Amino acid sequence: MASLTPTSRNWLRWLPAAVVPAVIAVGVIVLPSQAGAAVDLPDKSPEEILQLVGESSVDALSGTLSQSSNLGLPELPSGGSSATAGVASMLGLLTGSHSTRVFLDGPSKLRLQVLDDLAERDLIRNGNDVWLYDSSENAATRVTIPDRDVDDGVPPSPSPEAPSPESHSPEAYGTGSVQTPAQLAEKFLGEIDSSTVVTVGTDDRVAGREVYTLVLTPRSDDTLVGSVSMAVDAATGLPLRVAVQARGETEPAFELGFTELSLDTPGAELFAFTPPPGATVEEQELPAHDDLAHENPAHENSAHDPAGTSGEQSMHQPVVSGTGWASVIELAAGTVSGELAASPLLTQLGQAVNGGMLLSSSLVNVLVTDDGRVFAGAVAADQLQAAATASVG
Amino acid sequence: MPDSAGELDKATARQSGNWATGTGRVARHSVGLALFVSELSVLYRRRRTWAMLAALAAVPILIAVAVRVTNSTRQSGRGPQFLDQITQNGLFVAVTALVVSIPLFLPLTVGVVAGDTIAGEASHGTLRYLLVAPAGRVRLLIVKYVGAAAFCVCATLVVVVTGVGIGLALFPVGPVTLLSGDTIGFSESIVRLLLITAFVTVSLLGLSAIGLFISTLTDVPVGAMAATIVLSVVSQVLGALPQLDWLHPWLFSHYWLSFADLLRQPIAWESFGANALLQLGYIAVFGALAYGRFLTRDVLS
Repeated sequence: MASLTPTSRNWLRWLPAAVVPAVIAVGVIVLPSQAGAAVDLPDKSPEEILQLVGESSVDALSGTLSQSSNLGLPELPSGGSSATAGVASMLGLLTGSHSTRVFLDGPSKLRLQVLDDLAERDLIRNGNDVWLYDSSENAATRVTIPDRDVDDGVPPSPSPEAPSPESHSPEAYGTGSVQTPAQLAEKFLGEIDSSTVVTVGTDDRVAGREVYTLVLTPRSDDTLVGSVSMAVDAATGLPLRVAVQARGETEPAFELGFTELSLDTPGAELFAFTPPPGATVEEQELPAHDDLAHENPAHENSAHDPAGTSGEQSMHQPVVSGTGWASVIELAAGTVSGELAASPLLTQLGQAVNGGMLLSSSLVNVLVTDDGRVFAGAVAADQLQAAATASVG
Repeated sequence: MPDSAGELDKATARQSGNWATGTGRVARHSVGLALFVSELSVLYRRRRTWAMLAALAAVPILIAVAVRVTNSTRQSGRGPQFLDQITQNGLFVAVTALVVSIPLFLPLTVGVVAGDTIAGEASHGTLRYLLVAPAGRVRLLIVKYVGAAAFCVCATLVVVVTGVGIGLALFPVGPVTLLSGDTIGFSESIVRLLLITAFVTVSLLGLSAIGLFISTLTDVPVGAMAATIVLSVVSQVLGALPQLDWLHPWLFSHYWLSFADLLRQPIAWESFGANALLQLGYIAVFGALAYGRFLTRDVLS
């Protein structure tokens, strides 16, 4: 030290200012990538991993889910008039990024908490009772599920065997598109057929757990979906992360995965919900399973019924054309409420194309025709237009 | 304090000798403590400090009185968060006051204190006298930072304690409704309020470190204060731009409103840890910058 000149000593005193950011950069960049690289699980074939998912029997967990979407849709203005607020918040769930806490204990006890800024939306299910709570409105809604549904269609169960009847799942209310990676994985795995190539990707780490990666790649070139990758917990077979890659993109267009996961049974008090004092409470009864079935007539009639005149029922029945990944869903005129179709958001987000308005994203295209029909699919816009023309003829 | 230039040089030489050899640790420890006590007493003897604390205390009082006087049942979703809960529970005055204070009032006062740390002494011409004491520049820098951090604790506590006080005086206090819709009792809500105080204090530590660094750059305290406050605004503006969402987790203001995570059931601790880590990073980076600047700088005033 004594031999140092003042200049070199000054240089040494600036050293921490250079070292500290470097250390932080190393900590941020190198450590997470090393954690992933260190994972080396015994090799498994895609079939073995699928079997692992099928045999998964996790029925209690608590964790934090993080959803991020990069669909290439413009950011929506927050706030705005109340007429568009509902649509905007719905689209916000789809397009934005948010995190959700999940608590699960058995097939009939579930709590989802969508963590908003300074607010929270909760879904609490305890047996037949489902409570929805929105802290920004201080409003609680109680939905009673008919007995029959409790036994069969258990929507939130992460077990892949359980069917997921969306039309009457409690999630159709309030918390919107909140799903667990397991439900999403189940949906994609259900699609596996000759149109899909299933491969095993590199082992990784999700929420601190070692995972196998399953990559589903559509064979068809018509679809916008490039690949779907699924992280499957090596120990339990529980899908921990699902990422959908759009064709030609490097970042996942949609990603849903656990950032934290514990397989301990959450405390029972989490599932016992009493509306807070001062909250507005609303009661709702879900229609029984049979009623819903009656409302769902056979597909065929409505397809060639452009005006949607064959009665109330057919109007809500989507028609699917095309196969596999490139299928196009058609909703007859009148299915989408006029309010939505006339919403300024549509003109703001969409672009006018031949025959209607096109909502375009990297993964899904939606065409609202001038006569009110809606075509949607993970396909290019011209295929939607072709489907619209074919459907009229 | 020595007041002749010759003694001053000798004292500086002695302290740098101590620094190099590492001797005299015990003596310098007590010097550091004495310096810290004198720093605090100078800070709290200033009328400016008390004026700022009074302004912070005015925030919950204004909110509580305004709600009490109008006494109208607010529409949900209007005004700051938690405002409509105040009439049911006075403890929410403190939370609402924090929501209102965090974007501007708290950074403003912290910016004034942190920006004044070194530049204030330099502008008064007292900096070289402080360096004469055998404490050394590093110790002075640390003492100045700890003093600013102590003000962060004090400023947040003033808002919360005044809020609880005026809330108890003007409104009924019952079970507190959390964001998750669950309710907790009075004693647990006090614990949560203390946790929130800790969270907000930690949130301000990064800004204090930035203020300390800027303060070593200049002899004009007002400039350092203004620059610190402007940076806190800039950080929040950047945080509001969705196009820059890759940058957001790196902004020191990113978790400022995340104290709401302590009002969930169960408490979401992730943001507490993430915030602490982020602020620690800012303290490390700007502390190192301040160290580099302050130790190589010629102190002439």
